Amino acid sequence: MGLLTILKKMKQKEREMRLLMLGLDNAGKTTILKKFNGEDISTISPTLGFNIKTLEHKGFKLNIWDVGGQKSLRSYWRNYFESTDGLVWVVDSADRLRLGDCKQELSTLLLEERLAGATLLVFANKQDLPGALSKEAIQEALALDEIKSHHWCIISCSAVTGENLLAGVDWLLDDIAARIFTAD
Amino acid sequence: MYRRSPFPWKQQYVPYLQSTSTIYSNNMDIQGRNVRSCGENIVEMVDMDEENIAISSSSDADAAFDAVIGCIEDIIMEEEFQQLQQIFMEKHYLEFDDSDENKLSYTLIFNEYVDQLEKHLEQHLMERIPSFNMNTFIELLMHHKEEVSTDIFDMLLTFTDFMAFKEMFLEYRAEKEGRGLDLGQGLVVTSLIPAGSGLSQ
Repeated sequence: MGLLTILKKMKQKEREMRLLMLGLDNAGKTTILKKFNGEDISTISPTLGFNIKTLEHKGFKLNIWDVGGQKSLRSYWRNYFESTDGLVWVVDSADRLRLGDCKQELSTLLLEERLAGATLLVFANKQDLPGALSKEAIQEALALDEIKSHHWCIISCSAVTGENLLAGVDWLLDDIAARIFTAD
Repeated sequence: MYRRSPFPWKQQYVPYLQSTSTIYSNNMDIQGRNVRSCGENIVEMVDMDEENIAISSSSDADAAFDAVIGCIEDIIMEEEFQQLQQIFMEKHYLEFDDSDENKLSYTLIFNEYVDQLEKHLEQHLMERIPSFNMNTFIELLMHHKEEVSTDIFDMLLTFTDFMAFKEMFLEYRAEKEGRGLDLGQGLVVTSLIPAGSGLSQ
């Protein structure tokens, strides 16, 4: 690691967090990001690259990175791990066929050294769809209870209606703040 | 609210002998005016890895630290550094579009950019300060971290800011393609509302 990289880490701003949002393609990552940012979500096409939004929430500046989830793009995810405080794993709760894939990709991420210091928030998204699995079912399918390496939480949500998005981010902020910030 | 430790893998610091922030800021001032002298007042950079730490006094360490800061300042102000950036932008600017979504390739180009600037800085520091040791400097930097909120560091930090990087490329491209954004130059803005009418701000 060179001087600039070290300097950047050193001067990482107080009250500023970096969140990385990942998940399989079509999970709803970009929709969550845009909904959270108050943007129009009616015409979202598959992400081939990545999006960054900076939001203010609860007195924190959140830098949220959303990287495309298509299979061919997943090998690029690792370029975004550095300095991540919170990992948001987005699941399409109605995509039962790919839950195995979803579990596999998540467990690979959790082995990543550069994500070792990140809190994990799982969004059981698309609860507005009729066939959506409950968060309990997702929790089991992803074997979340076996995770001992990270603080984690699963929250059911709908990016389209906006339901519970805030609750998820609030939990994530509180956990990160308690872990890495100190008052003095 | 501060981060507990940005370097969880480096918890054990060599205790720093008496922080002398007044000396530090004075020196910064001198270096600002006396740009060429960066190699002169260098005290041997101390190798912290060795067991017996040979800092003779805190001000020696401070002077060494300040000398490095002065050199960094010189290096990034020099034409060679600007040229490096120029060549880099020329090589990659066509890849950058003004769309909200970023291409994955931007990140690779960004990483290469940071890497090149870092290498340039390090190489030139070693040329100017023969005893320069990056690890030692970084240790010192951590001890001084409350004091290093200077312009020079803000500038160095912009080199590591992705959004600033993208913006720089978009501006470069706009300029290259004659869509220059500097319309403000030579343009006088006159208010349509007469001054004193009570409507102007």
